[in-house]
Amino acid sequence: MIEIKHLQKNFGENEVLKDISLTIPSQQVVAVIGPSGSGKSTFLRCINGLEAITGGTVKVNGHVIDPQAQRKVLQKEIHAIRQETGMVFQQFNLYPHKTVVENVMEALLVVKKMNKEQAYVIASDLLLKVGLAEKEESYPSQLSGGQQQRVAIARALAMEPKLMLFDEPTSALDPELVGEVLKVMRDLAEDGMTMVIVTHEMKFAKEVADRILFMADGVIVEDANPVEFFEHPETERAQKFLRQVSEF
Amino acid sequence: MDLVIENIPFLLKGAYYTLLITVVSMFFGLIIGLITAVARLKGNRFLRMIARVYVSIIRGTPPLVQIFIVYYGLVDYGIEFGPLTAACIALSINIGAYVSEAFRGAIESVPKGQIEAAIATGMTDRQAMRRIVIPQAVRYAIPPLGNTFVGMLKETSLVSSIAVTELMRSAQLLVSQYYVYMPFYLAIAVMYWIMSTFFTFILHKIEKRLSVY
Repeated sequence: MIEIKHLQKNFGENEVLKDISLTIPSQQVVAVIGPSGSGKSTFLRCINGLEAITGGTVKVNGHVIDPQAQRKVLQKEIHAIRQETGMVFQQFNLYPHKTVVENVMEALLVVKKMNKEQAYVIASDLLLKVGLAEKEESYPSQLSGGQQQRVAIARALAMEPKLMLFDEPTSALDPELVGEVLKVMRDLAEDGMTMVIVTHEMKFAKEVADRILFMADGVIVEDANPVEFFEHPETERAQKFLRQVSEF
Repeated sequence: MDLVIENIPFLLKGAYYTLLITVVSMFFGLIIGLITAVARLKGNRFLRMIARVYVSIIRGTPPLVQIFIVYYGLVDYGIEFGPLTAACIALSINIGAYVSEAFRGAIESVPKGQIEAAIATGMTDRQAMRRIVIPQAVRYAIPPLGNTFVGMLKETSLVSSIAVTELMRSAQLLVSQYYVYMPFYLAIAVMYWIMSTFFTFILHKIEKRLSVY
């Protein structure tokens, strides 16, 4: 599903990602964890081209992001990846001028050129799935953070993605609202969705992820299954991080 | 006072031209402004430079000079407009620069996450701009646009100097006919004020309607 080779990303002089290579098979749920500033979010955003990569290649479902390629080709490949990839943001980023159901329908109308009736059927079905059927006509500002994030997940799912990217989906939420979002994500994982999740929810990562990527200073320090990682972290960096996290 | 009432039809005709020039210039100014704003934000280096120079020149020169250049100056190059046409052209170009600044500010105040969310669902930059960013920017743009338009309404008085018989010139003509100043100037002041207030009111309504969320 995802094949990353020698991925490198600089912001000016600053090397944010240093030579990352890995593959993620279909249906795998990967949690990316690590201290802030380690490049987790940047890594995630390189997968669907929201960040332009400096070196190496990212291949998703046969489409390749290669910074050496011609601009036209590169844009086309990134566009193809985005159509098959859903993304959920820390700040939800719902469209405030559209109702909940319009938020979910938008890409179907604009990108897939569906008519309103078809798009509505899909959208209201997804809202039912995330437990917000009765909020169809509300505006995002009328919803709680947890509800907004569930709408954002439904919006991403509307395009029938083969891959879902989550960028700290629960970090902006009040603690009591985290659970409802994680539940939706858990259901998604059980349905066999391929997911890459940047998260600070260690318990969730441990229970739901098939694989943990521990990042620090722009490199993947550990790549292990959750039991191994949480019970027996190999590197000192990871041990220190887990100690700090568990102090709370 | 009787003189004013007697000449109300004449003044109203002037007010009609003032409104006509305002509305026509606003219409073209909006189009010019939107194009300029998008050129400044999304254009290539050449387009960006043209747009920037245009805005800088317009903002840095008096509108009266701009009007004279269009009406008197261009004649030297064989380009001749009637006074009314020249007035509308000069003011459209003038207001376009200010409108573009209002739009640019508004587009920039739409959070970057909005465009990211849109392109992440597979929209092109252009689709995201049209469907997600511009509709939100329009709302942010309304207060500054309102100021620009009311300013515009008052600026139309400048075109009296190229013999367009709008409200200002109507009053001047009456003054030179009757040799009394105060009643006529007071009368048009009231008429300008009513029109400005009316515009502000309409813009306020539009803003309210757009802020349902």
